[in-house]
Amino acid sequence: MAKIKFTLNHKKLEVEVDPSRRLLDFIREDMHLSGTKEGCGEGSCGACVVLMDGYSVNSCLIPMANVEGHEIITIDEFKNTKEFEVLYAAFSEEGGSQCGFCTPGMIIASQSLLSHNPHPSEEEIRAGLAGNLCRCTGYQAIIQAVKLASEIGGNLWDKK
Amino acid sequence: MGQKIIARTLSEAIEALAKYDCNIVAGGSDIMLQKRNTAGELPRFEKDVLFIANIEELHKEYVDEEGLHIGATMTLEEILRHELTPNVLKDCLKELASVNIRHFATLPGNIANASPAGDTIVVDILLDAKLKLTSIRGVRYVSAEDFVQGVRKIDLAKDELIEEIIFPKYDFDKLIWFKVGSRKAESISKLAFAAAYKLDGEKIASIRLAFGSVFMKAIRSHELEKELEGMSLKELGSRVEEFTEKYGKVISPIDDQRSTKSYRLEVTKNIVRDFLTTLAKGGN
Amino acid sequence: MLPFKSKYPTSTPKVDQGIKVRGEAKYTDDIVMPGMLFAKTVRSSIAHGEILSIQKPKLPEGYYWVDHKDIKGENVVNIIFSDWPVFAEKKVNFIGEPIALIVGPNKGELDRLVNEVKIEYKEETPVFDFTESYIHKAFTKGDIASAKKKAVKVIEEEFSTGYQEQAYLEPQGLLVYYDEEHRVTCVGSVQCPWYVHRAVVRACAIPTEKVRVIQPAVGGAFGGKEHYPSLLAAQLATAMLKINKPIKMCFERPEDITFTTKRHPSKSKYIAYVDKDNNILGMDVQVKLNGGAYKGCSGVVLSRALIACVNVYNIPALNVAGDVYMTNTVPTAAFRGFGSPQTIFASEMFIHHVAKDLGVDPLELRMKYLVKEGDITTNSGKFHDPIILPALIEKAMEMSDYKRKIKEYSKPGCNKGIGMSFFLHGCGFTGSGESDIIKGKVKLIKDEKDIVHVYASSVDMGQGNKTTLKRIVAKNLDIPNEQVVFDNPDTSIIPDSGPTAASRTIIIVGFLMEKAAKNLKKIWKSGVRQEHIEPYVGPSYIKWDEETMQGDAYPSYAWGVNVVEVEFDPITYQIETKGVWSTYDVGRVVDERIAVGQADGGIVQGLGYGYMETMRCEKGRFRQRSLSDYIVPTAEDIPHMETAFIDNPFIYGADGAKGMGELTLVGGAPAIALAIENAIGKKVNDIPCNPEYIMELMKNGKN
Repeated sequence: MAKIKFTLNHKKLEVEVDPSRRLLDFIREDMHLSGTKEGCGEGSCGACVVLMDGYSVNSCLIPMANVEGHEIITIDEFKNTKEFEVLYAAFSEEGGSQCGFCTPGMIIASQSLLSHNPHPSEEEIRAGLAGNLCRCTGYQAIIQAVKLASEIGGNLWDKK
Repeated sequence: MGQKIIARTLSEAIEALAKYDCNIVAGGSDIMLQKRNTAGELPRFEKDVLFIANIEELHKEYVDEEGLHIGATMTLEEILRHELTPNVLKDCLKELASVNIRHFATLPGNIANASPAGDTIVVDILLDAKLKLTSIRGVRYVSAEDFVQGVRKIDLAKDELIEEIIFPKYDFDKLIWFKVGSRKAESISKLAFAAAYKLDGEKIASIRLAFGSVFMKAIRSHELEKELEGMSLKELGSRVEEFTEKYGKVISPIDDQRSTKSYRLEVTKNIVRDFLTTLAKGGN
Repeated sequence: MLPFKSKYPTSTPKVDQGIKVRGEAKYTDDIVMPGMLFAKTVRSSIAHGEILSIQKPKLPEGYYWVDHKDIKGENVVNIIFSDWPVFAEKKVNFIGEPIALIVGPNKGELDRLVNEVKIEYKEETPVFDFTESYIHKAFTKGDIASAKKKAVKVIEEEFSTGYQEQAYLEPQGLLVYYDEEHRVTCVGSVQCPWYVHRAVVRACAIPTEKVRVIQPAVGGAFGGKEHYPSLLAAQLATAMLKINKPIKMCFERPEDITFTTKRHPSKSKYIAYVDKDNNILGMDVQVKLNGGAYKGCSGVVLSRALIACVNVYNIPALNVAGDVYMTNTVPTAAFRGFGSPQTIFASEMFIHHVAKDLGVDPLELRMKYLVKEGDITTNSGKFHDPIILPALIEKAMEMSDYKRKIKEYSKPGCNKGIGMSFFLHGCGFTGSGESDIIKGKVKLIKDEKDIVHVYASSVDMGQGNKTTLKRIVAKNLDIPNEQVVFDNPDTSIIPDSGPTAASRTIIIVGFLMEKAAKNLKKIWKSGVRQEHIEPYVGPSYIKWDEETMQGDAYPSYAWGVNVVEVEFDPITYQIETKGVWSTYDVGRVVDERIAVGQADGGIVQGLGYGYMETMRCEKGRFRQRSLSDYIVPTAEDIPHMETAFIDNPFIYGADGAKGMGELTLVGGAPAIALAIENAIGKKVNDIPCNPEYIMELMKNGKN
């Protein structure tokens, strides 16, 4: 066990935890935050991605030791942001969520993409979301939703 | 066994390695998967564990007279975005895993995992990269080519840590990265190819070809490279098929869940043939 | 108010977007109950043999062993053909066959215990090839004997299709507990709540009212959760009756990929009898499906495969036969398309190859045999409804610039290709099954506040029926959508409106909803609680004989055309998809946004099936066991797609709608296979048409 200090959803935490525990298990089981999903447990599907210092990472492969000093944001907190509102409007318009299991991960990956590239081309969106599998939509509605979000978001994602 | 150490400095890390028999976790993308347990349960590490991702002093990429240094805790995406990173490595990283994984995976992790399908190792051996291995006993340098000895076999003493990867300066006209995966993103290579050459007028001044996923480790043939060096493009043009066959004998691919032996062999040869044919016409 | 103009002005906002996009939808693994235990399956490690002895590990306090001896009812999973045991007793018939569950509080400990179980087997020779037929079906159309006699050319070819894994993003999972009324309650990732309900009743021998099945959010299914959850429910309910505590079992991905049901691999042989004027007089079709160790629903899958075996073509004489073969492998079962993707692939390729062999233009030959309204179907029934396939074809060719491209790409060495598939899909259950067997019902309850509650067993696993069915009710009652409530199915309150399968939800359940709403409207009294139950009455002209497979195979058909454009890399034999254009007749579209979503998702699964998704079974063991080895398309593998619908309302469908869930998958594989064929100049007879196969074709393939 070790003491790990980090920020989860804007709350400063200091937790006594096994450093090898998966961030995903910590989020889902210890924090009871079920918005982050496990689809494959091997970093292939992206259902478990969370933001680590603003970048999308597969929480199923991140040991707690590695979140020390970092800021983690999950869908459960990201949903309260202005950026989320825009992504939500765009996903709703396009029908970007069908079964919904990949959706929290897709939203997080979209945020990671847009915050580093506020006005991506279609090709860049596809590359940015290529680590997130979806078996329902054929990706088109999701790609279009991210494109739409970047349009209607104005300068929301431009570096402040 | 049972120790789990989070190192914040290099010296903390090597001291821990001197004391314990550790699995080293950098980003975790490979080893956390290999040691994966059932959901909710701790990964099954059979040894002590040393976590090095928090070592800030290794989080850097810089150039000096030796060449380009990439520290052990730089993530692949940081390397991909870094202005000093050679394009051939960038091309390789762009196709490696997914953007999510690249946000935390590291270069030493990819090397030390020593998978025959480790893409960055192909670029490492192409560029004659060496690894700086640090232990409480001192520092040792080993070439990437020698470091990886076979499937999951590496030349790393129990107390050593890959501190950084060093890419020596090089002088080539062209560098090429070519990966064949089963889909366009997030795919483990069926085979990978990297090449570099410099021309001296109508002659090959220097040339390197490296292959991944077609042998127990990433491989180059220094013998064939020597044969090619100094050869005129005209001569090369008449000997493309011969060298294609020779390279076909350098590799020794297998059947697995991603592809077949015959596909890997034939496509590798196709790529070599195409590369040499283009080169014989003056390149590009 | 949205800060932009919607491109779907007639669509209803999808009712589940909020909770799903916010990550608030609760899937099975998100549900936690106090005192809940977990279960892990003890599986057969051999493909075929007899269990001689089982050495159980010493179970710590609070851990339980559950096997066939604990089953109170029948040790079978209630599927169409119930031959799959809940737990193997003496014999095991495939690697991974469940033998027992170990139940306890800690998943890691369960894993350890399962690994400690030692089973001694007497191994028997397993069967892995097509040798032991356990289901046979056959029928003829017209005078095949005289077609054979008159033929001057006989063209024969074989085709094969591989496994396909559903790869829903949420793995299988189920939770069983006693509810407050002491009912055995199953909450799980299921497609068909009543199937699960009946499976528990049968395996546990408890009265139907003592079982309850509740559907939480379902993370995709595609057929994979049509029958398999019945197995899990029967196992877990048996365990729960023994242990009396809530028990949850959620599969990890490798377990899900390795041991759950998939699409039937197939081999088929097509023979065309052709006269001197290049008329196809008749065809012989033989279809073989690999059913795996147990029959389950394979008989129905074979029916659909055979009914679809000459696709949209009116071939005057047919001799059709098919078999499902027993092999000692994981049983195959439902997957979007249900048998038809296999034969529609084969028939589309075959008619092209026949045209090539005859030296005639494939498009002309296909157009000549296209079915028309009033034509005799493959099964000697009748196409009762208007067929607008020529309009769909025309539109798809225009959207994709097909005619120019096919000419241009047919030049050797250009390494580009375009392919166009035509296809149909029968909506709903076979023949008069909807009226005679399923007998679906829906219930509407209007409460005192005039809120209308919809009761139906249709599961929204992503396809949007929570939105569409609600919309149909609201529209026909002429009330706002917000006045209608449609919760997830719970068998303690809903009638059986049938399974969520067979592209029947909109055409059958939606039609029922429409009628129910209209009837409720007639008796509507504000402020009073009212209830209306609507039973299904199908078109009376639909007649079907299951024994002879003669008559009207389906109440109606939906139609489609897919055009796919590819580029071929002659060095690596890799294919890149460059364009996808689709046109569909799904009757009248209920909600455009949702329909487009079905179209996009369906064809991507179809394309994956055609050129990418590769699953090899070697000696009963799958080579691909993870989502990094079983490759499905990513966002980068798929180009921008264009879809158009042409209106063709069906009188027995909700507001004119027919089914569309499966239709959108079945044309993908032949379209991309034809595009590849066009690009490489070699005949494609097998899917997945992956680079390894293309390499073989470039060496030894036929032109």
